[in-house]
This record gives sequence, structure tokens and C-alpha cells, in this order.
Amino acid sequence: MVSLMNKFTLTGLTFLCCLLLSITHVAAAENASTASNTLENDDFKWSDYKKPWMDDVQIHGFLSQGLFSTTGNNVYGKSKDSVSAGSTEIGLNISYQALNNVSFAIQGLYRRAGESTGSEGKVSLDFAFIDYTFFRHQAGRFGVRAGRVKNPWGLYNETRDVAATHPTIFLPLAYYERSRALYVSMDGGQFYSDYNTRAGNFSFKLNLGLTNPADKELLRAITLDPTIQGNLTSDLSVLANLNYEIDNGKYIFAFSYANLNLGYDGQTLDPYKDLTAKIDSFMLSAQYNGERLSLTAEYALQWNQFNQLPNPFVPGATFDSSPVSEHWYVQAGYRILDNLQATLRYDSSVQDINDRKGVDFSQNPFSLPAHLMFTRDIVFGMRWDITPAWMLRAEYHRVHGSSTVSAFDNPNLIQQAEDWNIYALQLAYQF
Amino acid sequence: MDSSLFHTPSIHKKQRIFCSFVCACLFTLSSHSAYALEVITHPDNIAQLEQLEQQHNLASVFAMRTLYWPNGERIRVIVLPDNNVIHQRFVKENLHLFPHQLRRTWNRLTYTGTGQAPNTVDSIAEMQELVNQTKNSIGYIDNGEPHE
Repeated sequence: MVSLMNKFTLTGLTFLCCLLLSITHVAAAENASTASNTLENDDFKWSDYKKPWMDDVQIHGFLSQGLFSTTGNNVYGKSKDSVSAGSTEIGLNISYQALNNVSFAIQGLYRRAGESTGSEGKVSLDFAFIDYTFFRHQAGRFGVRAGRVKNPWGLYNETRDVAATHPTIFLPLAYYERSRALYVSMDGGQFYSDYNTRAGNFSFKLNLGLTNPADKELLRAITLDPTIQGNLTSDLSVLANLNYEIDNGKYIFAFSYANLNLGYDGQTLDPYKDLTAKIDSFMLSAQYNGERLSLTAEYALQWNQFNQLPNPFVPGATFDSSPVSEHWYVQAGYRILDNLQATLRYDSSVQDINDRKGVDFSQNPFSLPAHLMFTRDIVFGMRWDITPAWMLRAEYHRVHGSSTVSAFDNPNLIQQAEDWNIYALQLAYQF
Repeated sequence: MDSSLFHTPSIHKKQRIFCSFVCACLFTLSSHSAYALEVITHPDNIAQLEQLEQQHNLASVFAMRTLYWPNGERIRVIVLPDNNVIHQRFVKENLHLFPHQLRRTWNRLTYTGTGQAPNTVDSIAEMQELVNQTKNSIGYIDNGEPHE
């Protein structure tokens, strides 16, 4: 009995001593890190304190430069029967994993995209948010991101400006540049949830907030009016994405949904001052990634509701328009070598499924051609990953229709060509 | 006696078959062990690694989906570059994935700010050093022949 007591006391004392020792050790370490005369402490090494912090910070970036030559219509500047170098993208980001469940991330983007950004280009804040995982369990997590977040629209939108993350220089038509501002990011928040099972990984993201639609390209695409003065504004919008991956991305299935609301900011006499737009859209995505072969297909349907557009013939009168646009493509990629990939894509986009060939549209009094209402594109591209950081690719497009070209690069809508070609080269770097 | 036996044609043939069988076995075994790839971790995390492997698929760790050790600490993943032969073999043989699948996942995390990519080192020697120095780290080595 006594020996048992002794043993108990001894264990207790040892435990206490250990605790005291560890506390003093921690305190000493803390003093060492804060006191100015740290060098007097033999045990202290600045690197011991600095390193864990540095390990939690990552800096990454990317840049790409494109070269384009076309027939019929311009892309990224004056490329028609000439050569344009009008597409440049440079991004730099920093992320900091502050705590096990709290992180910060920010990315700046410099972008030159033909006449729509001008030759000097534009700098923007691509994303900036705080990420808090509030609940996690063995198979997943729940969290929120607050700030400016990327929109998880389809397979490619989140990283649309990072050349290496998509197989061809031009993204599929469903992601066309004219509506870039509408989908690129949202100011507000993102709720996210991941759930990993033996049958695959589920990931859900829900973005809520305001888009940044003050982009002339988008406004021109909606109104077709080169004289328009004001800017589009955003009302509360929602975008959600459910992603399911089998075998860590061998098979990917995704469903994206967007409800985007726009208003208009203009002078009192501006004929567009009451313009509002409501866009409801969904996209279905499927992808197979084998060792050599990749197959991708996406289908998107978009219900547009444009209200209070001014009637050009009756001053003061307005009209509403509600086209339903449709985009889809099928794409096959084959890795001839580990670092050499060929891609073939058939891509289709129509502005209004009730007027697929633009016949009704062509009855307009401005003699705007029918082919402003659709685009079909056959793409063949080769991508060479010279090193993990450097990538070079080339592609050819045979295009029928011009619904997706920039009105800034092709201001004369009547003269836009129906059948045309794109030859493109791109060099990209990422780290 | 032995030598005469040895020179008996039928025995000779059997022996040759046997020898080549042994050699083949040895070769297969040795080539397996010489080129086997294995996961390594910081010495403090060895028990954690066993638990982790029981609970999760290693592929999900390298795909940055499983982010925490069973004790709640964040896993620090260390890899070799995409074009490194050992990396390619590890991804295919141990994770049953292709390097481009991992790259796609890592790019998404890196360029949307929603996660961090693994740290990349240039050689197995660097890998061993960094894993030994970094608490909660996980990496892989070719435990066979010495490397450049």
C-alpha cells in the first residue's frame, strides 16, 4: 500500500517536474524570440522560429504571351491579314496558411486583351480573401471564404487566365471573352464543403455576392450599341458548383449554376438608364483523364432577361428581350509523349436557341448579318511542355460565325466575316 | 563423381534450368528491391503515418485532399518535379495516378488561392534532408540504388 502511494507520489512529482520544465522551456523560448538580446541565449536559433512561418507562405505566378494571325475577323488586336501580339497575362499570388484552419490568399493580374483593354493593358485584383475552415472531420470539411473569390463555373473558369491550366490557347466558346467580366470573380463570400468517400470526392462551392460587370465589352455585347456611355452594375448574384471526381480526377462530373443580376449606371438622360439584366444559367461538365487520352464535354444553357432596352425608333419607349443562349463542345486530347499533347475540339455557340441561324435577327433594320448570332469552331492544337515551368503551343481554328468576337477589335459589325481562320502561338511560364 | 554427374547431359540440362530459374528469381527480387519506392516522413510522424495509411488513401494526401495527420496537424507534402522519372513512377505505381492529374489539382489550388501546392525539391537527397528537417512532412524516396 505504502509502496503504491510512493509510486503514485513519485509519478505525480515527476509529471509536475516535467510540466514545470516544459513551461519554463516554452517561456524561455518565447522570451528568446521577443527579447532584443537573443544572441546571449546559446540554444536560440533564429532559423528555428523563422522557418515554420516561411513554410506556410507560398508565392506563385504565371505569364503568357500570344501571337495571332487571322483572316476575316480580328482577335486580340489587329490580327486580320497581319500578326497581333495583343494578348498578355501576368499573375502573381501569395498565400499564407496562418493557422491549421485559417489562411489568406491574394492574386494580382495584369491583362492585355486587344482593344478591349487597350495596348497598355489593365491591372486588377483577381482574388483576395480570408479562408476559415470551421468544421472538419476525417472525410471532409466545411468552410467559408470572405472577400473576392473566383467563380467555379464549369471546368476552366476559375483558372481561365492561367494558360497552362487549359488545353488550348482559346478557351471553349462557353467561356468566351465577351462575358468574362460576368463570370470571372465575385465580391462577397464562398461557402465550401468537401466530402471524400471511397467512391469519389465531392466538392461543393456556393458563391454569393456582387460581380464586377463594369466592362464595356459585356455592355456592347448586350446592347450592340457603340455609343453607349454608362456602365453595368451588379446586384446580388449567386453561383454554385457541385463537382464529383472519381480516382482523383480520372473521371470528373460537374454541375454549375449561376443567377446573375445586373443594373445600369448612367446619366439621367441616358436612354439605357432603366436597363436591367437577369441571367440564369447552368453548365454540365464531364471529363475523362487517362494516361494518354483525355475526353471533355461541356454543355451550357443560359436564359437571359434584358429589360427596358431603349427602342431605337420610338424615343422614350423601351422593349424587353429574352434570348436563350446555348454553348457546348466536345474535345479530345492525346498525349503523344508525356510533354506533348494534341487536342481536337468541336465547339458550338448560339445566341438564341429560338433563332439558331440568326434568320429572325437578320430582319433587323440595321442590316446586321445573321452570323452575329452563332459560332461554330473546329480547333486543332498542339501543346509542348518544354519543362514543368515553360509551355509552348500552337493551334488552328476554322470558324463559322462571329457571335463571340470582340466588338472592340471588330467595330464594324456589318463587315464581320462569316467564315474565317485563326492561327495562334503562345508561350507561357508558371511557377 | 560429381564432375561426371555434372557432365551427364540430362543433369546438365536440369541444372541449367534450375540455375536460370534461381537467377531469374534473384533478378526479379533484386530489381524489385533496388527500384522500390517508399513513402517517408519526419521521424516524429512514423506512428502517425501508419494510422494515416489505414484511414486514407495516400493518393488523396498527395492530391492535397487529405490535409491533416490523424493528430490534427497539417500535412506538409514534398514532391519531385513533374518531369522527374522517380516522381512519375511514384505517382503511377504507388498512388495509381498520372502526374498530369496531380498537376491539374495543384494548379487549381494554387491559382484560385483555395489551397497550397506541395513543396518541390530537385533531388532525392534534398527530399530526404527536407523531410528530416520538416515536422509533419511526407515525401518519397527510391530506397534502392544511389541517386544523382
